[in-house]
Amino acid sequence: MPAETANDTIYLPLLPVLNLNGQVSGLQEKRNELQVWFGGSHLRLRRNQSKIRIDRRTVDLSQPALQSNGQWLVPVSFLTLVIPSLAGQNVLYQAGTHRAFIGNIHPVSFTVRLESQPSGAKLVVQFTGKIGIQTASTNGTWVILLSGPPVVPMERVIRFHNPYLKELRFDDQDGRPKLVLKPAEGDLNFYSQLTQGQQILVADIMKPAPPMSAKALPGQQTTAAVPPASKPGAAAPPSSTVALAPAQAAPPLPVIVLDAGHGGPDSGARSRDGILEKNLTANMAQKVAAALQAAGKCRVVMTRIGDSDPSFEQRSVTANTNRPVAFVSFHAGELGDRSPVIAVYTYQPPSPAPASESGSPLFVPWDWAQEHEQAPSQQLAQIFEQRFSQITGIILPPLTQAPVRELRSINAPAVAVEVGTLSPVQDAGVIAQDSFEQQVAKATAAALEQFLGAPALP
Amino acid sequence: MSKRSLILLLFAIPILVAGGFYLRALVRRAFFQSAPKPEGAMQAQLRQQALQSESSVKEAVALYFPNFDTGALDQEARVMALAPNNEDRIRQIVLALIEGPAQGHARALPASTALRAVFITPSGDAYLDFSSDVTQNFPVGIASETLAIYSVVDSLTANVPAVKRVRFLVQGQETDTLDGHADLTGFYTSNLPPPAATPLNP
Repeated sequence: MPAETANDTIYLPLLPVLNLNGQVSGLQEKRNELQVWFGGSHLRLRRNQSKIRIDRRTVDLSQPALQSNGQWLVPVSFLTLVIPSLAGQNVLYQAGTHRAFIGNIHPVSFTVRLESQPSGAKLVVQFTGKIGIQTASTNGTWVILLSGPPVVPMERVIRFHNPYLKELRFDDQDGRPKLVLKPAEGDLNFYSQLTQGQQILVADIMKPAPPMSAKALPGQQTTAAVPPASKPGAAAPPSSTVALAPAQAAPPLPVIVLDAGHGGPDSGARSRDGILEKNLTANMAQKVAAALQAAGKCRVVMTRIGDSDPSFEQRSVTANTNRPVAFVSFHAGELGDRSPVIAVYTYQPPSPAPASESGSPLFVPWDWAQEHEQAPSQQLAQIFEQRFSQITGIILPPLTQAPVRELRSINAPAVAVEVGTLSPVQDAGVIAQDSFEQQVAKATAAALEQFLGAPALP
Repeated sequence: MSKRSLILLLFAIPILVAGGFYLRALVRRAFFQSAPKPEGAMQAQLRQQALQSESSVKEAVALYFPNFDTGALDQEARVMALAPNNEDRIRQIVLALIEGPAQGHARALPASTALRAVFITPSGDAYLDFSSDVTQNFPVGIASETLAIYSVVDSLTANVPAVKRVRFLVQGQETDTLDGHADLTGFYTSNLPPPAATPLNP
């Protein structure tokens, strides 16, 4: 879809957008005004005004409609604010590609695993939906171009302490979603293939084998290729490969999972002046992630990207499959008349687990996973309390146990942080200010780094 | 009077009489029959009936209401004529919580909440089925939802010895959370330490 940029805002042509979603049945244009009959609805736009009249209601696009070269342009927010109600279809606009996805949209995400092999490493990227790939190589990096549904990464940069692969980065800045892999050294072979119904990408990264094997250049597209060193009769790996044995590889960075509560249609709590819990939690999680990534001591995985609404189970799956050293769930809600308040919670089950359900430490039922993490979770909460107490002017209630649903199935030390008061009878005030969010994020990041360095409980 | 006029008159008289009766019925319906009571008034009436037990013996009752300043529940002493039947006693306690605190504490449940059904098993599992109002006009949050749940659980276990565990339903359905935070997928048992408030004075 052709797009134009004006006043730092991306604009789309109105009529092609409407015709993609149905049929325009009538138009009437005056000098500064356009009236459109679309389906059973009537739209009225005015040039340089952000408010659009649709039948009897008014929608504010926050950016004005424009007229350029005789064409009416609307900001991208038209797709999400107007089209769903007008055409009864969901619309997702991918900024990089200027592509609009219409209908029942399921963006694809992915998780990454890097395994050490006797003479190399195996990268496994598991996508949540079918995907197409094409590989290329530029400036010493391997590039895997992704095609198909929109891709929404849970983390954009993953760094490895591995002798073969340094970094995997998701990049869609030029409009084409891709994974960019940075090898740890030159002259490595890269073989990739899609398996499991185009949902799993397996890539072998290996030292080049002796002359008997065909040498593949980085980026060479090799579908279903077999690594030369594993071919029957292939020569033994050179001694340099032995020097890079996995036993000598540095340990992987620890993972911290940040969970921004609510999202999508679930706004959570709301203040009198319209501040939504889902936005506050997303801001806090993003700021903590940025602080942790800047320090470079851990990997950060988010359970929610953008304004999505993963279920409790999806959040738990994201956390547990990444085997985090800590999990933090962010919330905002009613905490009385006083403000700002920061409350820290560990999990408490509604009732004690029956002996038959709580399981042994070896086999832990999913619903009782957090039960077995009580001691380290308590330790984590105490560090949080200590760090938050250093923020001036806040009220810090005593540590509390609560039946927080998001913590129930987390198989790692976990806490929930709730800021308040976010209540329909008062304005959000200081808790919605950027400076407060920065302070909370800084203290949270410091607490997590302290926990990483803390001795593990037996 | 012509024959034609006589026939017209014979037809007109029964029509006029029938019309008169119909008009009278309409007037009675419009002015003398009472209008149906709004749902809120009906709920209040039911609530009042439930709170007024046939029992003449009054008992000291401990109700628990949220205190956001301490993050705990405060005890409020009442004297109520509780019913001998366990399900009626549960209903009376929960409706008293819905009525709200009398000593300046925070409200545990929205005033518009209706308790649709109560059921208790012989082993002491109490099922409470609330209307969807329980999540509307509700102060959302981890603290507020946790305090609301334990307000009900502790008030019931303290005053109805037969109740060992409490399960919350909304509109007859199991639900994941009260309003996005507190887990409602299992039974709740009382977890609170002995309240710090003043002892009961019946």
